[in-house]
Amino acid sequence: MGIRWQHLAAWAVFIIFMLALPEFVSKGTLRTIIFANFLAIFAISWDVLSGRTGYISFGHPFLIGIGAYTSAILSYRFGFPIALSIPLAVVAAMIGGTLFFLPALRIRGSYFALVTLAFMELMYQLVQVIRPDITGGTRGISGVETITRGAVNNFYLSFCLMALVAFSMWLLMKSRLGTALSAIGMNEESVRGSGLDTTKLKLAAFMIAAFVAGLGGAFYVHYLGSIAPRALFDINFLFTIIVAALIGGASTIIGPMIGAFFLTFLLEYLRPVLPGAERYFIYGGIALILYMYQPKGIYEVAKQGWGRIQAARAGAGS
Amino acid sequence: MSYPLELRDVVKRFGGLTATDNMSFRVEDGESLGLIGPNGAGKTTIFSLIMGEHRQTSGSILCNGEDISALPTYARIGRGVCRTYQVPRPFADMDVMENIRLGLMPNNLWQMLVRGPNHDREIELALSVGFAEGDLKRHPAELSMGDLRKLELARTLATGPSIMLLDEVFAGLTAGEISQIAELINQKRKEGMTLIIVSHDLKSLEPLIDRAIAMNYGAIVAEGDFAHVMADPDVRAAYLGGE
Amino acid sequence: MSQIIIQGLLLSGLYALIAVGFTLIFSIGRVLNLAYGAYLMIGGYVYYHVTQVLDMPQLVGILLAVVFGCGVGVLKYTLLVKPLKGDHVAVEISTLILAVVIQAGIVLVFNDSSKILHPIVPGVWRVGGATVTFNILTAALASWAILIGLYLFVRNTHIGRAMQAVSMDTKGAAISGVDPDRINLITWGISGGLGAIAGVFFASYTQLNPSMWVAPLIIAVAVVIVGGIGSIIGTLIVAHIIGFMEIISTTLIAAELRGVFTMLLIIGVLVMRPRGLFGREEL
Repeated sequence: MGIRWQHLAAWAVFIIFMLALPEFVSKGTLRTIIFANFLAIFAISWDVLSGRTGYISFGHPFLIGIGAYTSAILSYRFGFPIALSIPLAVVAAMIGGTLFFLPALRIRGSYFALVTLAFMELMYQLVQVIRPDITGGTRGISGVETITRGAVNNFYLSFCLMALVAFSMWLLMKSRLGTALSAIGMNEESVRGSGLDTTKLKLAAFMIAAFVAGLGGAFYVHYLGSIAPRALFDINFLFTIIVAALIGGASTIIGPMIGAFFLTFLLEYLRPVLPGAERYFIYGGIALILYMYQPKGIYEVAKQGWGRIQAARAGAGS
Repeated sequence: MSYPLELRDVVKRFGGLTATDNMSFRVEDGESLGLIGPNGAGKTTIFSLIMGEHRQTSGSILCNGEDISALPTYARIGRGVCRTYQVPRPFADMDVMENIRLGLMPNNLWQMLVRGPNHDREIELALSVGFAEGDLKRHPAELSMGDLRKLELARTLATGPSIMLLDEVFAGLTAGEISQIAELINQKRKEGMTLIIVSHDLKSLEPLIDRAIAMNYGAIVAEGDFAHVMADPDVRAAYLGGE
Repeated sequence: MSQIIIQGLLLSGLYALIAVGFTLIFSIGRVLNLAYGAYLMIGGYVYYHVTQVLDMPQLVGILLAVVFGCGVGVLKYTLLVKPLKGDHVAVEISTLILAVVIQAGIVLVFNDSSKILHPIVPGVWRVGGATVTFNILTAALASWAILIGLYLFVRNTHIGRAMQAVSMDTKGAAISGVDPDRINLITWGISGGLGAIAGVFFASYTQLNPSMWVAPLIIAVAVVIVGGIGSIIGTLIVAHIIGFMEIISTTLIAAELRGVFTMLLIIGVLVMRPRGLFGREEL
């Protein structure tokens, strides 16, 4: 579990590789990667909460949406500078995370997942009804100020954000706090029986997840320049986040990153082959089969494959 | 005069069922108390009440003279009370050392973040309950029932208790494992640990305790030294299921 | 006033029908079938295709819809739920993925434009200021008939009692000679069929489109949560609470708020009474 120099070297190689990428690939690919970066941030946020503690969130778009809407409204309607609207959006998302947390005091499992789903649907309906002059109602807001222009700049921005989030979450989850959060997912009673205040631990997990979700959501809206309720508070968006985390490998940091890139590129590479509606059918089908085959994700498959190669080598050696 | 642990008129009802009926007893410092009785007598409920996993309907529980009745479980563990379970509850995806790590963690988020795990202490605890060096990286699925009980003992000992509540520590063990665990309990007694032990295995329990309390239907039937309690006609009736 | 009562009763009947198939699965396997809404969609589309594209009689349409729903339910249990035995989270997530796949499949076959279903029974009926379409009246009556039938089935038949036994205690049922696997399979089949027929009525009440599965899923979830596990009567009562709440908020407050109160009810009940209003207490 400890941090070894190999880990840090792997991070360094990964970051250098990605930073050099714009020299080698097309703008189109960069745009795809930008989406993968944002998806990775959302998936990491989901995983910190649900992958670790086992409290499955079906309402993550709720947290992301609060971040995105707060920043969009503050900057577009009230003329706040982005440097101020994003931190405020993160705070708002964390307040939203506290709302999420209240039911987790009493319920878990399927019931908890359902409340979070209800939160998301509630938000979807409220955004359209309450003060549509501010939220933009069903049509949302367009013309939100963007931070930077062009694929290359946005690539650097989104990648740096993703790498920062991933690296700090990795450090956090390597700490004893990360161990304790994973332990909650395995057996909450035993964590309590070890003398730890599980309420405090869960609150920490919810706050961290909401922080990351709010941050990602706010930057995302300033990248897209627009926001609409159906695009955010939507089961398909939720599906993409959860599947990215699970297909990559829950309870790791690299897993959600792999998952996000895998899903985004799968959809992109299917485009020339299957231009029509088949694409989403095949895409979902692949996700389902992969999940059924190994619920622990691609990372686990790779790890087991590596283990087998090692074992075969050891067998051949002796 | 305060005791490490004292129950005063504790009543616990689950709906219409009275699981604990006006229980009062106390444990002396460094004493080892055996809690016996047929299935459903309410022994495990007593442990849950002491740990705060359930709240008593009325009455109070005192630890070193302080009323801990309203405290959450982690605060009671912080005051040196801990328990093991009839069915061990390890963390399935963690190895032996990581399981023990949970017990060693301070209940303080900042400390958990900035300080790394104390591997030496983890190893020391694992070895002290009888694990071999080679077992340290094993996962619960690879361990025997005896090892799982040892693991749970190590994790609870890691919280630094002065009173341990042991629930059916001998259940499902081989004769060899029983003597190993008994040895361990005896050692803790010598070190001055206060103990309450629940067991159906009276033969193994007898040498480990100073005093026994027999329960039936949530109430105390007899109390005193082991031979005296076992000679009590009500206790015999309860065990034989007499009318 | 009479408008509210009549509309409320009819809508509630439809909601009860939508929820009952979902309740059945939840009470037997304790799993949430998040692809439940897809049964409704499949039912609706099959009925549409058979009656409005192939021009066959309505009865054939309904029958085929039920057959398809049953088939999908049975397939789902054998291919998805059984292999993931015991892992509720995995079942919930894989059914969520499946729902999205089915949605994509529907777009593939029928494209993603909305389709209007002809009313099953055309015509309207005016009672004291209230207008009632025969269509929703039929839906409500059919819903009542199906619910009563289901209630009698669960109470009085061998399979129904076995279902009750499995829902109370899977292991105990297995020991007393009930094959939980077979009962689960049957239940998933029945649930699929009920979902499909609810879909036909739901689609004729609203319209057909590839994302129509979310709304009924939320309704079903709300009914199960608020009603508690494993009670057909509870389902019926709560369907009425939700149905009336929607009608009242639509007519008296604002049409856009109709779903908001349902969501608030779900959140409120789950936080205050996690076992639901009429659910069994579990230790």
